[in-house]
Amino acid sequence: MKDSPIPRVVVLFLLVAGVTVFVAARAVRNVGASAATSDWVNHTHAVMIELDGLRTELRLGDGALGAFLQSGDAATLAAAREAETRAADHLEIVQALTAHEPPQRALGQQLEPSFAAWRGAAHALVAARQAGDERAARALREADAAGAALRALLLTIEKLRATALELLSARDTASFLQAQSTRWSVWSGVTVNLFLLVGAGWLIRDDLAARRRAHRALQEANAGLETRVVARTTELAETNMRLAAENLERRWAQQSLAHQLRYQSIIVDSITDLVFVLTKAQSISRVNPAVLQALGQPETAMIGQPLARFVRLPINADEPAAPDPVARALKDGRETCGLAATIEDRLIALRVAVFPLRDGDQVVGGVVVAHVVGSAAPASPQRHRLPRP
Amino acid sequence: MKKNILIVDDEAPIRELLELLFTGKGYRVTAAETADEALHAVRRDPPHLVVSDLQLRESDGLKFIDALKGLQPDTPVMLLTGVLFDAAVVKETLQGKISAYVQKTAPLAKILAEAERLLAA
Repeated sequence: MKDSPIPRVVVLFLLVAGVTVFVAARAVRNVGASAATSDWVNHTHAVMIELDGLRTELRLGDGALGAFLQSGDAATLAAAREAETRAADHLEIVQALTAHEPPQRALGQQLEPSFAAWRGAAHALVAARQAGDERAARALREADAAGAALRALLLTIEKLRATALELLSARDTASFLQAQSTRWSVWSGVTVNLFLLVGAGWLIRDDLAARRRAHRALQEANAGLETRVVARTTELAETNMRLAAENLERRWAQQSLAHQLRYQSIIVDSITDLVFVLTKAQSISRVNPAVLQALGQPETAMIGQPLARFVRLPINADEPAAPDPVARALKDGRETCGLAATIEDRLIALRVAVFPLRDGDQVVGGVVVAHVVGSAAPASPQRHRLPRP
Repeated sequence: MKKNILIVDDEAPIRELLELLFTGKGYRVTAAETADEALHAVRRDPPHLVVSDLQLRESDGLKFIDALKGLQPDTPVMLLTGVLFDAAVVKETLQGKISAYVQKTAPLAKILAEAERLLAA
């Protein structure tokens, strides 16, 4: 699994926020600067308007003064005085407007002495004209003090206007550069933010794709696991069923065997004749209850003992060397019936049959069945054969 | 609905093993120890198959089968014979009364196969 992209996305969004804040701060600063520039431009235009008004009023006043000096008309004098008053107002405004502008303040301060000189010379001419002193008036005109003062004033006004225009041009340039800077800042910020957001989007998309892949892989793994679990469970269930069936079959076989053994025992035990089961060496391996009753001994005293110890088969007097008939029957594998025998200590006469037990083609033992036929004669030192019934 | 098999045997281990065999294969099993119990069970819940031992306590399987045929003549009967009976003799003697016979020494698989054959018939 890839590392989580969240820290990188957070960093990208912090960068976006930083760029946005930077662009906003820069734009706000430039807007403030633009507003200040706009105020200054308005201010400069006001200065120029006042300078233009001052110049106009000075020319009007000078014209009206010249007309009065020639005609002595009171109306022109009044016009000249009104123009002087308005020029003084303009001058006052110009000085106020340029008081805080160092490049213009000096020029503005130069206007007042020139204006005062012009006004003094004009007043002197008016006074001489009104006094009728032609010679003094002529001398004053020839001296042209008013004209010189007026030209100085107009020159200063032109300088001030030129200075204002230069500053205006510089401010225009600065304003343009600020606007350009603002545009560049905004577009650069937008572009950078766009790239950053695209990067963040790519990281998020990449992460989502990785998560989808991981989810699919997990689902596939789960499905595979589930399939294996189902298969294994089925296999275990089948094995369990098979084992249960085998177990049941084994229990059935055991009970079947026990059932057979029990019935075989019942069959043997229900016989009233004496039944001895012998090994091939004629040792007793099993007896039925009739034997226990006839011999009066427990089974443990008989098991493993030779049959001859309990049952005496008489020897034929004519053939004393003849073999034991039980041994011969077992050896030959042939049934032998009608043998007379006795249980001497009980004086019981028996008629005996011997049945070889075969396992395949081999004789592995025998069964001796003895029927009680009556009381036996006392023991004789010789074996004898009883007559057949 | 599950088919009902009636097991009649006087030996508890045999009843238990046959019950395990048939319930494990999805059958419903009723077990009876005596012929009277078995007939009572037949009246209460008629079986689809009867599996009976020939030797029963206080009676025998032949009498029980006779009584059963009086109640449910079409119900198949599988007779389990023990070591005291010869299969050929049983078949000859009981051919008209029973549907199948199996020796008790036969494996359970054979008993089950025979029961399924009779139930499907």
